[in-house]
Amino acid sequence: MEQLAPATLATRRPALVRAPTDWTGIIFAVALSAAVIVPLLVVGVWAFTEVWRYPNVIPQQFGLRFWNQTLTRADVWSALTLSLQLSTVVTLLSAAICLPAAYAFARLSFPGRNVLFFSFLAGHAFPKFGLLIAIAAIFLQLNLIGTFWGVVLIQLVGTLLFMIWIPVAAFQSVDRRMEEAARDVGAGPFRVFWSITLPQAGPTIAAAVLLSFVGTFYETEGAWLIGAPGIRTMPVLMISFINNQMVIQYGAVLSVMLWVPSFIALMFARRVIGGGAFARGFGG
Amino acid sequence: MTDAAPAAPRPLIDSNDSRRPHGLLLVAIPVFLVAWLVIWPIINAIFRTLWRPDETGAIGFNLDSYVFFFSDQYSINNLTITLWTTLMCAILLLVICLPISLYLRFSAGRLPAYVQAMAIFPMFVPSIILAYAFIRVLGPNGMVDIILNSVGLPKIRTPYLTPWGPVIGLVWDNIPLTVLILLSGLGNVANQAIEAARDVGANRFQVFWHIILPRISNSVLVAISFAVLGIFSSFTLPYLLGPASPEMMGPFMNRTFREVNDPLNAITQAVITFCFCIAFGLFYVRSVARNQGK
Repeated sequence: MEQLAPATLATRRPALVRAPTDWTGIIFAVALSAAVIVPLLVVGVWAFTEVWRYPNVIPQQFGLRFWNQTLTRADVWSALTLSLQLSTVVTLLSAAICLPAAYAFARLSFPGRNVLFFSFLAGHAFPKFGLLIAIAAIFLQLNLIGTFWGVVLIQLVGTLLFMIWIPVAAFQSVDRRMEEAARDVGAGPFRVFWSITLPQAGPTIAAAVLLSFVGTFYETEGAWLIGAPGIRTMPVLMISFINNQMVIQYGAVLSVMLWVPSFIALMFARRVIGGGAFARGFGG
Repeated sequence: MTDAAPAAPRPLIDSNDSRRPHGLLLVAIPVFLVAWLVIWPIINAIFRTLWRPDETGAIGFNLDSYVFFFSDQYSINNLTITLWTTLMCAILLLVICLPISLYLRFSAGRLPAYVQAMAIFPMFVPSIILAYAFIRVLGPNGMVDIILNSVGLPKIRTPYLTPWGPVIGLVWDNIPLTVLILLSGLGNVANQAIEAARDVGANRFQVFWHIILPRISNSVLVAISFAVLGIFSSFTLPYLLGPASPEMMGPFMNRTFREVNDPLNAITQAVITFCFCIAFGLFYVRSVARNQGK
């Protein structure tokens, strides 16, 4: 399967490219497909398997029995609800505090603007888990360990960089002349923002919001360190499924379920990620 | 217009208006969060481990927890395995990602587009799913064993729960960003420079070594810095895929903090990881700041 797809793609390539057969490309395509797609396919197969004993190449019995069993588990539902609640609260809070800040960074000039803008890098300039331990030590004194709001705070900090830097780029790329024109014909600042600025910056901002929602949903380390034992999010539950190895299929079903939001993010975020701007944001 | 009545339309760049610090109000909350939950914990961690009571109860400069870390063989082993894992990952990432990025930079069409999509795909796979997939494929009686067995070959020695487990997982996880950063650097290499070198008879390797490498060396360093910062204190993948002893700094700190319930030594370990990564962190910030300034 994974050998066939790249090969057919290769033959369809336009003839003006130098080499007749792009062997390097085929080797990369096959190797990457084997390393990236095959593991996920195996997980996908496991999710729909009822019996798969070791030496058999394909499962003896397919079925949805384990979907039923996984979805009727109380801990799965409470973890899913909790994760969705957390992601929603964190994303809304993050949007509420970051988008005005992004607008200010993009459009206004105020004392210390550059230093403050780059201060958001600080969280990414230190090894993440070390920083989490340092934060956890402070939360320990504040009795925030094991609480919902402790996890909200830790995950909120994780979204700041994305939720400020991507919208700043979006606001900066809005055509100032159009805003000017709207003002010249008498539109007030709010009207200009609503009718001119927001529609142009909107899609990129929406992508940033989506990225932060999905990123928060999958955030594991903060939830694990700060949230335990009271807060069990989906990824934390998944860790215990993997560690305790009870039934293989539980993990597989959860993986497939968890994969869905990630896939949606993939579709929506392509426009943000595709541009070189994304890599430049990482200093490339 | 020169009289600037209050109701007059505002000028293109609000040069007078914008000097007002009301922008500070809009950025206050995020900046406060960074100060409270990034800057302060780091300062606090350093002071709490250095300035604390000794055995007699007198508060003062005290290096005991650091002395303990560096005299404890178990801690040293954990630090060593962390350094080894980080080094291995950095080498493997370069060996894998540099050829891919070079290929993507100098070709066009549908096959390179597919290769790029595959290289970036892991970015959208949460590491927890990756860990599960890893166990199902490379773990004992996993897919690789099944396939080897079906063609009559012996089983592999599974990397699951060995130091190679985290290495494989972390490399997989870090391929997308490394490729993106290297590609962005390769975008700065002009085609003319390469063609000129080819015209005077340089072979592929010479072109790479003398023309391409000097121009992308900064991107290579950024990619490595970013990977090192992420890998050195990674938690999820080493915790799920690595050996129980020695363990990497991430799981080690987690265990010291939560299971041993010893915040002081956990913070000491955190400060030690900061020290090992400080050069990479500073370099990373400098590069990003320079790029944004362009």
